[in-house]
Amino acid sequence: MAALSNKSDQEIKDLLDEYGIKHGPVVDTTRPLYEKKLKEAMAKAKVTVTKPSPDRTFYREDQEEVTYVTCQTPVRSEGPSGDGKPYMRSRPEYSERDRVDDKPYSRPEYSERNRVDDKPYSRPEYSEIDRVDDKPYSRSKLEYRERDRVDDKPYSRSKPEYRERDRVDDKLYSRSRPEYSSGRQYIDEPHVYNTPSSSSSYSKPTPVMKSGGVVKKENTTSSGRLIPLWIQFLVFLIVAGFLYFIFTNMESAESSPFNKIQ
Amino acid sequence: MSTTSQKHRDFVGEPMGDKPVTALSGIGEVLGNKLEEQGFDRAFVVLGQYLLLRKDGELFTEWLKDTSGANTRNATSCSQCLREWCDSFL
Repeated sequence: MAALSNKSDQEIKDLLDEYGIKHGPVVDTTRPLYEKKLKEAMAKAKVTVTKPSPDRTFYREDQEEVTYVTCQTPVRSEGPSGDGKPYMRSRPEYSERDRVDDKPYSRPEYSERNRVDDKPYSRPEYSEIDRVDDKPYSRSKLEYRERDRVDDKPYSRSKPEYRERDRVDDKLYSRSRPEYSSGRQYIDEPHVYNTPSSSSSYSKPTPVMKSGGVVKKENTTSSGRLIPLWIQFLVFLIVAGFLYFIFTNMESAESSPFNKIQ
Repeated sequence: MSTTSQKHRDFVGEPMGDKPVTALSGIGEVLGNKLEEQGFDRAFVVLGQYLLLRKDGELFTEWLKDTSGANTRNATSCSQCLREWCDSFL
């Protein structure tokens, strides 16, 4: 492309219209600005041409500008059958979370649950905004992603703990974990009592998380970045504590079988 | 109460007349000098630039950052100041 500075005002104007850049008259003072904008638009146009298709597999976090919108729901709906792979594939941020989750077992089930979690974080809405304006939102994406990653820790932490059966908190997660009811790894544990209850909850893990998720969704949809992280954490902890409270109460009923035996 | 500074309120409250460019919200001494070097020695000249850019806040902010080296906060503040002035007096 010929040097922009050599073009006439009219040509600059035509180029601006071509790239769909809103502009005013091209005058001495406005010209440098428009030339700069044209340069950016041209570079961007070049990049998008050479960019690979959005459906390619992403395993890394470095893709900040990925079209989250494409990542979406259709793939999500395919994922459910317990195969985390395709799931993780099309979603960079999601794949991050998967990576955290991968370490423990039962990835597929866990990813199901993550899927549920995704919604509360209002990813679709969030991602659409991202596409419009990369810079400011990419930053927030990082934060958002970080938040996801941080939030994942309790889950991933609880999984190994649950395996050891030492933590009570695990019940929280075990319940919403389909794998448990499928008797995958936890069936040997004495927490068998959870099966009946978990199976009921298993059939609908979503409502368990949804209650917390909805709140989260409101938080994130309303502000994106405006609500500080600590508030989100607080809400999360409150919900988790509430669920734990429910679980502990339910446990007490389980002691009855033992009583009968004795 | 909106989060506007006193400077902003002073500027937006009356016709700008021949006020210097440093009367604009977000434009201090340093930025004011830089703008004067470029020929924008009065607030109304900067207003002229804002109008040339069709009163587009984003474009104006970008222009101001390029021309005077202002940071995003100051540029946005100036843009908002001009926008509100225009709403009242233009």
